[in-house]
Amino acid sequence: MIATLERPVHLTGVSSAGSALAVDWRVMNDQADALVDARSQFEEQAIPYMDQLYAAAMRMTRNPADASDLVQETFVKAFASWKTFTQGTNLKAWLYRILTNTYINTYRKKQREPYQGTIDDLEDWQLGGAESTTAASTRSAEAEAIDRMPASVVKDALQAIPEDFRLAVYLADVEGFAYQEIADIMKTPIGTVMSRLHRGRRMLRDLLADYARERGIDTAATVKSAGSKSTRSAK
Amino acid sequence: MTDCGCEKAQKDLEEYLRNEVCTTMRSDIEEHLAHCTGCQDEVHVARTLTEAVARACVEYAPEELREQVLATIRTANPAAV
Repeated sequence: MIATLERPVHLTGVSSAGSALAVDWRVMNDQADALVDARSQFEEQAIPYMDQLYAAAMRMTRNPADASDLVQETFVKAFASWKTFTQGTNLKAWLYRILTNTYINTYRKKQREPYQGTIDDLEDWQLGGAESTTAASTRSAEAEAIDRMPASVVKDALQAIPEDFRLAVYLADVEGFAYQEIADIMKTPIGTVMSRLHRGRRMLRDLLADYARERGIDTAATVKSAGSKSTRSAK
Repeated sequence: MTDCGCEKAQKDLEEYLRNEVCTTMRSDIEEHLAHCTGCQDEVHVARTLTEAVARACVEYAPEELREQVLATIRTANPAAV
């Protein structure tokens, strides 16, 4: 029922016809025309990003109801400031900026998470994500284990790392944004983006290795504790 | 071209794989990767991790959300905001 509302073509077609009859009508409807144009342009260009924005919102809010609200609010804000978007520039990054802002300003406060703003200052060893020096032979085992990891486990691991790190990893690995774009979206210097990304991925690797070890799969990161724990078989 | 060695290659690997600016010359990292199986494995792990994360994060917006957003857009007036 929503798919075929009155098409903008209808209105603009009449107003640009140039007939004497249409002139007065056009003056009166200039604003309406502009609105219809903006609306169809927005639907055509911005709405297709809904799945992606929803996926990002799911990683931010962790539940479908809040993710839906966040996406809805993002699109409303985006449409409200649609005229400030410069055609030809990166629309996806523009939408992500609005999404991230909205999330930080409303949802993050609502969730009352412990403030994580200073986590960048922590040393790697404090986060438990120290670089593990691993034997080359076990790295291919690690890759194989990661490759076979169920999506739910990867999502849980992502959810377990600090939010700012998770967001950096998400924007880089899932959305393929460049460092500068992530810096703009997260409003942080590029060096912070790099460090969050490196450390976030390191933590992710360690968490996935922990999971694999619990399931009795030997991977690179299991080497450091191999002596202390006996590996148990999952099945 | 000179082989940059494992330490530099691994430090800048993420940037290298993402085509970002890094402190080590790309050609030097390439030279190193061509000969070092350990670092090749590291590349493999890094790429596999990215793919696993991307794969795990695929979501589809619920149909109700799509309808809700479109309905809101169709009644909203951006000029009035």
